Amino acid sequence: MRQKQIPNKARDTAMKNPTNSLKRRFSLKFLKTLMRIRKSRPPPSPSASSSWEIRWRAQKIKLAAYFSMALSVGSKRTWSRALTMKLRATMGNRRWSSWKGSKKMTKRRIVAKKNMEKRHLEKDMNSGLQQLRQLVPGGESMDPRSLLEETAHFVRCLETQVRVMRSIAEGFPC
Amino acid sequence: MSSRRSRSRQSGSSRITEDQIADLVSKLQQLIPEIRNRRSDKQVSASKVLQETCNYIRSLHREVDDLSQRLSELLASSDTDSDQAAIIRSLLM
Repeated sequence: MRQKQIPNKARDTAMKNPTNSLKRRFSLKFLKTLMRIRKSRPPPSPSASSSWEIRWRAQKIKLAAYFSMALSVGSKRTWSRALTMKLRATMGNRRWSSWKGSKKMTKRRIVAKKNMEKRHLEKDMNSGLQQLRQLVPGGESMDPRSLLEETAHFVRCLETQVRVMRSIAEGFPC
Repeated sequence: MSSRRSRSRQSGSSRITEDQIADLVSKLQQLIPEIRNRRSDKQVSASKVLQETCNYIRSLHREVDDLSQRLSELLASSDTDSDQAAIIRSLLM
């Protein structure tokens, strides 16, 4: 009986591709947070204007979007674990610093990674891979193959996030 | 036999082959609208795919920025709670 193969394939696909259940989980988390943000008030500030308040909320919404997505994906992906940790640290500090930049790897690891890449891959892929490492959370310490897999999943989740955010924005009464 | 063993003694757990990389790159290629839409018959180079992927990720981040701003403006301008809850719930169905 080949029945054992089917659940594995389903699990594999779920691992590799975001599904509708992910979209749902993300939508619910994000919306809950959105409603909370709506009720929140910014800290009193001498320069407070309505446009500043809008900007302040926009930052919170952006954080909430990435955080909700990372939580919805859970711990099964390196990028989601890395992003969750990064955002928790960021939100703890209450500052939206540019988390998109990469953390510094130790020099030894960087050289080791570069050697591996040079040995196996075309030279002109290396610059692309290096850029990806900085764009994909947790990418600095991934081997090239994992980096490519994680990138594919990350891109699909980002697309889902954007799609949901857009449909919420368009669904708002004017 | 020994030569084969020594050739295979590389990076520990996952041996990365050119084929696997090429396969993953082609999967990535399918995801990137830039490449998917202007589909030509000839193969897109791997480095081009990676470059376009980076550009695509950056553009997605920019969209998130824009949408966050837009949502914040919408939140500021709208009043009732219950209307929104109903509308949003209907979005999810």
